[in-house]
Amino acid sequence: MSLDYVTTILQGVPMTLLLTFAGLGLGIVGGIPLAVLRQSRIWPVRTLARLVIDLLRGIPIIVWLFIVIFGLGAYIQYDDVTLPVVLGLGLISSAYLAEIYRGGLAAIHAGQFEASTALGMTRLDTMARIVGPQIARISIPAAATYGIGLLKDSSIAFTVGVQEVMYWTNDVARTRSDAIGPYVAAGLLYIVLSVLCAWGARSLGGVLRRRVAR
Amino acid sequence: MSPEPKAVVDVWHLRKQYGDHVVLDSVDLQVQQGEVAAVIGPSGAGKSTMLRCINLLETPDAGAITVAGTTVDTGRSVRAKDLARLRRKVGMVFQSFNLFPHLTVLRNITLPQQRVLGRSKVEAEARAMELLTRVGLAEKATQYPARCSGGQQQRIAIARALALDPEVMLFDEPTSALDPELGLEVLTVMRELADEGMTMVVVTHEMQFARDVSDHLLVMADGGIIEQGHPERIFAEPAHERTRQFLRAVLDR
Repeated sequence: MSLDYVTTILQGVPMTLLLTFAGLGLGIVGGIPLAVLRQSRIWPVRTLARLVIDLLRGIPIIVWLFIVIFGLGAYIQYDDVTLPVVLGLGLISSAYLAEIYRGGLAAIHAGQFEASTALGMTRLDTMARIVGPQIARISIPAAATYGIGLLKDSSIAFTVGVQEVMYWTNDVARTRSDAIGPYVAAGLLYIVLSVLCAWGARSLGGVLRRRVAR
Repeated sequence: MSPEPKAVVDVWHLRKQYGDHVVLDSVDLQVQQGEVAAVIGPSGAGKSTMLRCINLLETPDAGAITVAGTTVDTGRSVRAKDLARLRRKVGMVFQSFNLFPHLTVLRNITLPQQRVLGRSKVEAEARAMELLTRVGLAEKATQYPARCSGGQQQRIAIARALALDPEVMLFDEPTSALDPELGLEVLTVMRELADEGMTMVVVTHEMQFARDVSDHLLVMADGGIIEQGHPERIFAEPAHERTRQFLRAVLDR
């Protein structure tokens, strides 16, 4: 009885974290323009943004990854599937983050816009300096919850051959008669990673929110 | 001899409606330099809407608004430049204070100065501290608004508006969200401001303030100004039946 497979599984941790943080990072940035377009005064822009968001969120991640890697893979030669997977996760995350931002915007008191406008601040200044920072702080808990979900969903990338935690788990499990050990170890590993991420997000959120007693 | 008084605020034939509901119907208003105009009347009369039209927080459906030489005519398309210039001349204080909760008290006052007037950080901070001292809150500079009482927040909001050196200050029921004692600190600051010659338009339910501090009293009801004149005169002998009814309701309680 040995636990030597644990070290094999742990090899996947950097890739799992890369998928999660790169995907979430792209989503945090990409969600901003999408949320802004979603609020556009021009209705075709608003409708288009909404369609894009619904499309990205409506299709399961595994289907998206199969479309991108196996579907488009017929036309595009991928040297390494990691990049397209990260971009795909980033795009899907943008849609989720855009909706989180929209919820944050709805929570901002109309008086904040009015005060900023009455002071003569431009629309851009109002968004970037008054309302934006407040939305960011409101959005932290929901974004963290999404990020933890993404950590677990990143295991789907194994199906297209990305060498993350689940890839290595499966790799060792196939060579053994008792596969239960590696899979349970992977499960525990995801729990540990989730707890660490939740703890990190909470302390970040606490630092930022202490300033805004709402 | 004092120079000919000139109107700092000149509102002409202002009209505002929401759907079929007419909130303001052909309202005219002139406020002279250094004058304190108080606007009273029952709720739903259109007082706040009129005030919010002066700095175009609400877009009027008809009429023209001139503030210190800058005119916005709703008949023509409003240029963003005129809008910005007009807003720069008007300071506004809200019922709900509307301080920015993510910024310190000092930053609430310096940020607009830097972004709107292009002042340097040093200039803006000097001006902010001067005004905070004037409203008695210099020690609150590094705090966040949530750490301040309602009365303090409103005084900070007044300082924030004054920091942009407006030609006229609009007050939209500045004490309505405050309990009477805290409202008093705000009224004291406003009284000092009036004594220093600031042009002010004050929508208020504080009858004492309207009577003692204002130079000109406007009574609004049902989307129009039904009566205006010297406050003493209107309080003593209101000409309009609706005014009598309103004053009875607010004074005899």
